[in-house]
Order: sequence, then C-alpha cells, then structure tokens
Amino acid sequence: MIKKDQSVLDYLYNHYSGALYGVVFRILKKEETAEEVLQDVFLKIWDKIDGYDPAKGKLFTWMVNIARNQAIDKTRSKEISKSKKTDDLDILVNRFDRQENFEIPVDTIGLKEVLQKLSPDQLFVVSQLYLKGYSQSEVAEEFNIPLGTVKTRLRLAMIELRSLLDIK
Amino acid sequence: MNIEEYISSGILEAYVLGELMEAEMAEVQHNISLYPALRAELVKIEETQEKLLIQLAIKPSERVKSKLFEKINEKPAGKVVQLEQSSFTTWRYATAASVALAFITSYLAFNYWNKWKASESNLTELIAQNQRIAQDYNNVNLRLDQIESDLKVTSNPDFARVVMKGTVNAPQSLATVYWNQQTQEVFLSVQSMKELSKENQYQLWAIIDGKPVDCGVFDSNLAGVFKMKNIFNSPVTFAVTVEPRGGKPSPTLETMQVAGNLAKG
Repeated sequence: MIKKDQSVLDYLYNHYSGALYGVVFRILKKEETAEEVLQDVFLKIWDKIDGYDPAKGKLFTWMVNIARNQAIDKTRSKEISKSKKTDDLDILVNRFDRQENFEIPVDTIGLKEVLQKLSPDQLFVVSQLYLKGYSQSEVAEEFNIPLGTVKTRLRLAMIELRSLLDIK
Repeated sequence: MNIEEYISSGILEAYVLGELMEAEMAEVQHNISLYPALRAELVKIEETQEKLLIQLAIKPSERVKSKLFEKINEKPAGKVVQLEQSSFTTWRYATAASVALAFITSYLAFNYWNKWKASESNLTELIAQNQRIAQDYNNVNLRLDQIESDLKVTSNPDFARVVMKGTVNAPQSLATVYWNQQTQEVFLSVQSMKELSKENQYQLWAIIDGKPVDCGVFDSNLAGVFKMKNIFNSPVTFAVTVEPRGGKPSPTLETMQVAGNLAKG
C-alpha cells in the first residue's frame, strides 16, 4: 500500500507497542498469545485509524481500548480454553490465573516507588485494574467491595497519580 | 447538570477504561462536547492512564513488528486507485493533523483562560486583603492617636486627678476625673460602670460651693479619656448620677453611682 501510511503505523508502533503489549500481556499471561494479539491490535488500529475521532478522547485511549478488548476477546475464545483446560473456568471468569503474582518490570522501578505512595486501598485498586487487567466490576465482585467504593478509590488514586506522575 | 457530582461519580474513569455500555459512552461523549470542564478532567484522566501504562510498558519481541509489516504489505492494494488514494489519504492525514492542531490549540487556550481566571480571582482576593489590612492599619492609627491624646491628659501635671469610687448604689463602679484649673477643662475616664438601659445616661456633676454644676452626660461604654464640659470655678467634689437620656438640670442624688473629692493642694 502507501508508503506514507506505513510511516504513520511505524511511528505508532515504535511509540506505543510497549504500552499496549504490557496491557495485552497482563491480561493473557502467555507470550505467544499476547504477541499474536498485539499484531491483531495493530492491524485493527491500521484498519480503523480513519474512524478515530479526537472529540471522543485521546488517540492513546482509543488504542488501549482496542488492545484491552482484543485481549479480553481472546480469553473468551476456544483457543485459550483448550490450551489451559485446567484453568478453563477460572480464565473465563477471571481472565487469568490469580495466584500468579505479576512482577513489575525492572525498568519501572521509579514507577514502583510512585505506586507505593498511594494508600493501600488505592494501590490495590490500581494494581488490579492496571497490573492485573481486571475491570472495576470484577474487582468489586471478586473482593467483595461495593462497586461504588472501587470507583471512588480509583478516582482518588488517579487524582493522586496526577501529581505523582507530574500531570499538570 | 452538576459537573462536580458527575465527575466524582467516576464515570469518566470508567469511560477511559472502556468499561461503559454503548449508551453510557454516547452520553459521556455528548456531555464532554457540552462542558469544557468535563473535557479538561477527561484529558487529565487520559494523560494519567497514558503515563502510567507507558511506564508499565513491556517491550514485545522484534518478530512481532516484522510480521506485522509483512502482513500489511501482503494486503492487496488496487493499482488503479493507488495515486488517487494516495493523495486522498495524504489530504486526510493533513486534515486530521490540522484538526488535532486545532484541538490542541483550543485546549491550550482553554488552559490559559483557566489560569488567567485563577490569577484574576487571586488578584481580587489580594486587593480585598490589602483593603482589609489598610483598614486595620487606619484603626490602629486612630487608636494610637486616641491613646496619645489620652496620655497628654493623664500625664500632664496641670491636671488634678480625682478618683470617684462607687457609692452604696454601685460599690463596684469606678471612674476618674481630670480637671485643669488653668484651662478649666474636664476629662473623664471610666474604669468600671454598670450598663444602663437605653432610656438612661450617666451625668457628671461638679459640686461647687455646695451646688451641683452639670458637666455633661455619658454612656456606660465610654472608652478612653473623654472631654466633658468645662467648669469655671474650683470644685470640691465630682459625682455621677443616673438620669434620663440627655441629662437633667439638677441631679437625682439618690441615684448617685460614684463620687470623689478633689485633694486640696
């Protein structure tokens, strides 16, 4: 196709593949599947970029939601159910094995310090949503916290993170 | 709509996380187009998520990228429309870029407008504060002037000082008269006098040759050293009675509150 377009995709891939792969991998927990989904994510971005509407939100938000949805769809597909038969139910309900602790990558030690500054309640919600790939209602259900409380904690955490991440 | 409430409901966070149903999403999109404050909040939430996720990035292996571009180049492109499509797409990106630029510019303008508003309200507050301080300063100055002029009386040896003590009517009351024989001025300072009803006032009398002479009326809350009517002859005694507001030509002696004799000298 057109060279110029590919440079746009190249730019997006170079800048955002890491962040999107992080999201996808945390949901799928399997390198092979996560890489496959990441490729699908960029194909979808490439396909639908014309439909992106800046009035609805930032480009990154749009891309991240494509990545999340692709990854969640994948967890629901037969492919995953077959490959992890024993965890079948768990994965369908919870997306991935909860017992496994997700390690924060070494190059984000600075971030680890930032996250430690959140209150334990806020850190918990942020970790479940952003490090483990849960949705707010799943966190509420799984840990028996009222959904309203989860929302409030997320909101407060996001406000706290603004100053910690230096967003003016 | 109450914007604060809407924001604190957490719906914007849920929107950014892509957790909303289609109808709710449409509602949020509608609302952010109406209220700039909502959009500003949304942008902040989005930026927070973006920065957080970029810090949480995991580098995918190189083969993903090469496979991706292989796949894209496999895709058949209609040769006939290629040129047309190319220029069309170029224009489309140019349009997208200018829309993005307009968007960024209006966001910045909004941002600066907000900052300007904040500075303006800070300035108003500072001006008000300044006025309050100036007012306080004036009050202090006035008070200082008062104290200075009081001091001129109380520390002047030409003034005879007469302490009037409480009578049986008011044993706790105490007031002081300063009388200057040369200038015939009379000053009064109240240390402690009972509060009176609105209908009544205190009246100061000088007893001269056995006769009471009116020195003027005053209220119980008299502050500082207060100038009364001059008297022309040397008094023996000063006394205060309770009289109807405005005073009377002759004292009602049974209401006498305080009295004191001038020391002979």
